[in-house]
Amino acid sequence: MAAFVALGASWCGFVLAPMLQLGGAKQTVILQSADNWPQQRTGDATLGLSVYRAYGCAACHTEQVRQTGAAFEVTLTSLGTQKAADFKDFIKSLMVVPDLATSSNSIVGSLDKWNGELPKTLYSGDDGDVASALADHLKPVGVKTETRIIATGPDIARGWGSRQSVAADYLYDAPVQLGSLRAGPDLANIGVRAPDANWQWQHLYAPKSVTPNSTMPSFKFLFEVRAVGAAPSPDALKLTGAFAPAAGFEVVPKAEAKQLAAYLLSLKANVPLYEAPFTPVTAAK
Amino acid sequence: MSAENSSCSVPTVSEPTAPRSAAPMWIIVVTLLLLFLGGYYFDQHGGWFNAKVYAPYANAEKLEAFQPKSGAAAALARGKFVYDSVCGICHGADGLGKPGQAPPLAASEMVICKGVSRLAHIPLAGLNGPIKVCGKDWSLSMAAMGAALPDEDVAAVLTYIRTSWGNQAGPVTADDVKKVRADMGRNAPALTGVQLLNLPE
Repeated sequence: MAAFVALGASWCGFVLAPMLQLGGAKQTVILQSADNWPQQRTGDATLGLSVYRAYGCAACHTEQVRQTGAAFEVTLTSLGTQKAADFKDFIKSLMVVPDLATSSNSIVGSLDKWNGELPKTLYSGDDGDVASALADHLKPVGVKTETRIIATGPDIARGWGSRQSVAADYLYDAPVQLGSLRAGPDLANIGVRAPDANWQWQHLYAPKSVTPNSTMPSFKFLFEVRAVGAAPSPDALKLTGAFAPAAGFEVVPKAEAKQLAAYLLSLKANVPLYEAPFTPVTAAK
Repeated sequence: MSAENSSCSVPTVSEPTAPRSAAPMWIIVVTLLLLFLGGYYFDQHGGWFNAKVYAPYANAEKLEAFQPKSGAAAALARGKFVYDSVCGICHGADGLGKPGQAPPLAASEMVICKGVSRLAHIPLAGLNGPIKVCGKDWSLSMAAMGAALPDEDVAAVLTYIRTSWGNQAGPVTADDVKKVRADMGRNAPALTGVQLLNLPE
């Protein structure tokens, strides 16, 4: 009886409860858009997941970005016609407003050694009311500010993602390649960081050719070194120096290498979701 | 055999027994305390098994606070901000007005009417003299408080008063305000109650 209860309780905790919580997960809507997230992988990228799994990439790479905090950031982007010194005085006079009084020290303190260079972060903290009050009070003065929601944490500081990974990101991964050890960098956003397939191939063929300090083993067997035919292959790796093949030869990826690279390029968790909000950086700036 | 025979010479000792005793009170108290603290911690940090709540967001409210405000929500927040800093001083934060200062906006037929043109004239041009609001006669004067505000802010504040305090009228767009401003011309004199009612909704 006791054994049954012990097994049953852990089954409920580890199997039943997560199933009830996330078992019915469906596509979610990307914040401030009508698009759904995530999209089903297509073609080579689908097959690439099994290549990724077969070569044990998850032994050294994780696919999960962690986040330790979230903050509102008000950044001054333009002073308009104001002078920096006047703006400083104005900010000081603004601090009597009840909404801002609680954060006045940090806001005024951040301007102490400021000489007017832009953009300048005026407020960074977890109080959305302070951030919106600050932006509202600065709007009529003629200066331009930008309020952003940012995710914070060591992984995000390393540039591994703009937000934490959530269950929705893995909806179409079977099995999910979370990984638990980071001998190499996290790959949850590798498709954003290195969006070029040829770069991915070079990295798989000879990791040190693109990242000199890499400790990743070479996956040369996924490539074919062959004599250049009538014309060089469009897929030929752009290798240089010691890594380049002998003259008259080229390195081309086999099907598995193409699939793996397609899968890696599909790893993008860079859209804001309800459960992981942030303000995306607009490319046009 | 000899041992059995001599056993009668050994003094009989009764089997040792463990006395039954109640569990010490302090264990019960500590257990209950730990349960309470655990429950409290879960309540504060557990998110109540909500599948959308991940650390570092402790609960659904904290997550909600971090949602980007956009479109309608942002305009409404802006409207409340403008209302509180410009209109609320006389009309009251609750929209009920203040005797001798300003008529109510909540449930006012001027605010919740179908069209928005007449309503938009009030902050843009100002209003003077007697007018009937919510069955009461008011004879006050309001300056053109919205004349100096940008179209978006006037639209936001009008949308705010039309959807707050139980009012359920449609939103006002910046284009509506722009149109009214254009019709009215620059430096238009303050309207009287009769002039206002003669305007189309």
